[in-house]
Amino acid sequence: MKFSMLPQVLAQMFKKPFTNKFPAKYQPSSTTNFLKAVGDGNASIIPPVETPPGFRGKIQYDKEKCIGCKLCIKVCPCAAIEYKEKEKKIKIYVSRCCFCSQCNDICPVNCLSMSNEFLLADADKYSKDLIVE
Amino acid sequence: MTKQLTPKEIVQSFTDTFKTKIKNPRIETHAAGSKPTEFIHIWMNVDKSIFKEAVKHLTTLENYPHLAVASGYEWENTIELVYHFSIYFGERCKEISLNMTVVLPKSKPEIDSICDIIPGALITEQEKQEMLGVTVKGIPKDKRAFVSDDFPKGMYPWRKDETGASGKMVRNLHEGDK
Amino acid sequence: MSTKTKSKTTYQIPVGPIHPALKEPVMFEFELDGEKIVDVDVSLGHVHRGIEWTGMRRNPVQVLYLAERICGICSYCHPMAFALATERVAGIQVPERAEYLRVIHAELERICSHVLWAGVAAHEIGFDSVLFLTWQIREKALDLTEYLTGNRVTKAITMIGGVRRDITTDMHSTINEGLQFIKDNFEKLRRVYLDDKTFRMRSQDVGILTKEDALKLCAAGPTTRASGVRKDVRLDQPYFAFGDLDFDYVTPDVLTGEVNGDVYDRIVVRLLEVKQSVELIEQCIKQMPEGEIVAEPKVAKLLASLKKIKGEGIGRMEAPRGEVIHYVKYIEHEFPYSWKVRAPTYNNILPWIPMLLGEQIADIPIVAASTDPCMSCTNRVAIVDGGKRYQLNHEDLHKLSVEKTRRLMK
Repeated sequence: MKFSMLPQVLAQMFKKPFTNKFPAKYQPSSTTNFLKAVGDGNASIIPPVETPPGFRGKIQYDKEKCIGCKLCIKVCPCAAIEYKEKEKKIKIYVSRCCFCSQCNDICPVNCLSMSNEFLLADADKYSKDLIVE
Repeated sequence: MTKQLTPKEIVQSFTDTFKTKIKNPRIETHAAGSKPTEFIHIWMNVDKSIFKEAVKHLTTLENYPHLAVASGYEWENTIELVYHFSIYFGERCKEISLNMTVVLPKSKPEIDSICDIIPGALITEQEKQEMLGVTVKGIPKDKRAFVSDDFPKGMYPWRKDETGASGKMVRNLHEGDK
Repeated sequence: MSTKTKSKTTYQIPVGPIHPALKEPVMFEFELDGEKIVDVDVSLGHVHRGIEWTGMRRNPVQVLYLAERICGICSYCHPMAFALATERVAGIQVPERAEYLRVIHAELERICSHVLWAGVAAHEIGFDSVLFLTWQIREKALDLTEYLTGNRVTKAITMIGGVRRDITTDMHSTINEGLQFIKDNFEKLRRVYLDDKTFRMRSQDVGILTKEDALKLCAAGPTTRASGVRKDVRLDQPYFAFGDLDFDYVTPDVLTGEVNGDVYDRIVVRLLEVKQSVELIEQCIKQMPEGEIVAEPKVAKLLASLKKIKGEGIGRMEAPRGEVIHYVKYIEHEFPYSWKVRAPTYNNILPWIPMLLGEQIADIPIVAASTDPCMSCTNRVAIVDGGKRYQLNHEDLHKLSVEKTRRLMK
């Protein structure tokens, strides 16, 4: 049949689109003005789809529990963790992290965990948001 | 369809034809799954002078043996190439992997091409030439497969001696400005 | 680039190294007589990243994550093949439950990959609405992957000796829902791809690879199965729990009754494999035994024991595109001494040469895409015609392919 997709296309015209229109339905003419309007409360951002439990987002570090054993540094494939000699604690560079969560598994005191934050884009690799310590 | 031999018979046919030029044959049995299903890997050391005949002998066991890839590494004064063949595919749980190791001296790393027997070996032979500095005699198309044309000649990335990749060719990205 | 042509009336055009129809940057040089291809030359190496060199300077657990980033679509097969090779050298016994879990993730990846490919193939022909339909189906499969592993693409679920996460019984309902969605929409896909007249016109008797060529050039995966060769690592040398499951080789005569080795047959093989994967996952969920999910849960202890092993081993797996093989050699040191990776596309590149001889330029995207190479990018194609040089960019080449479809439809 020549137009095998035609029934599908026609049906789609009446159905809700599958795409979740995050962050806004149409592209705003100026992104900075849009973000300012959101901050003032004049516009709203359509929320992203919920992440499932167990999602591997930005790393979280419980400083009190850490014992300075350096096992996480040994197993990190990206060299994203640095050891602070004097304090015996670690510093994690999220810009180098590949979100594999191998450090979570090997830590003997479970002081590392992955949150569900994924909106991490930043202009500066070493800004405060992208360094966890 | 040629008759299928058991692993012991396969090793026997090689040692009978080539006598002492086949060294250290070993048959490894591995198992997987709950049943468990077993499969065989055969490893043998083949002398480079009879390597091409050994591959021809393999075609008597299976009409079109499957060459997966040829890996290689250097070891002290030699370069060792491992050719990974597999035969008897097509029926469930019958395939046997045959790995042939050929030892070449570093002073004269030459080997014959097997592209006339197995045309699919072209790319992997080109790769050995540029990565390890092996010369493949009789290769149909002599050009670089993976390394770019402006990579320095005489530098062989897989080697761990002075001809290995070093200096400007290696960029340690993680040692950036922190 | 060679400048000698076969006769005075032909001209040469290079396609690549980076091109939308080709998923890996590959350089083609075609010699053309009018619209027909007379000679083909292939050269590779444009994304060489030195991964094997890097791998020889990392410990085995770090190499797992490095291997995952070799390819985005087959991102499960490379760490798994490396883990298989290491387990065979070290003599680690993987628990049974882990073997079944590994099968589930492998088949889920196969579904995602084949459905993605189906969308790309439709896009090359010019059928964009089918692209969106197939990728909508793929979204459900990716959501399921994210639920099971934590991320849609880089799964990070491999560990030497098992897997890192378990599938508990409360997850079964979500999995069954996802599989049901795929099964319901499978009939839609089948109708569009296999019955539609346009698809048949563009894909039948195009890009033929004979059985003998496929055997001689050691092709792998659906490319070789579509030519009638029965070669599938899951059945020939069963790894994981495939030896316990009930399935068979997928060749085109299962559906159509004959084997031609053209693009249409490759579409048939891939769609049948999606159906087979759904059935395999259902079998696994029913048959999965209880038990441990990894042989050695303490990673530090595992690393210490891997420092002491010596020997060489190979790990072979059936990726969505073909056979993946990893070779590792350990010498009682922290890092592996030698590591060789062979992705399946490298074996499927030489078959491009017999497939493309005699075809037209507008068929290049669909034939190259039918072997499912791995990656997509943009670049310009330079055409040398007589003495004039002018450039076509990827949109023009894609437009040529779409225009051919329109001509055929009239």
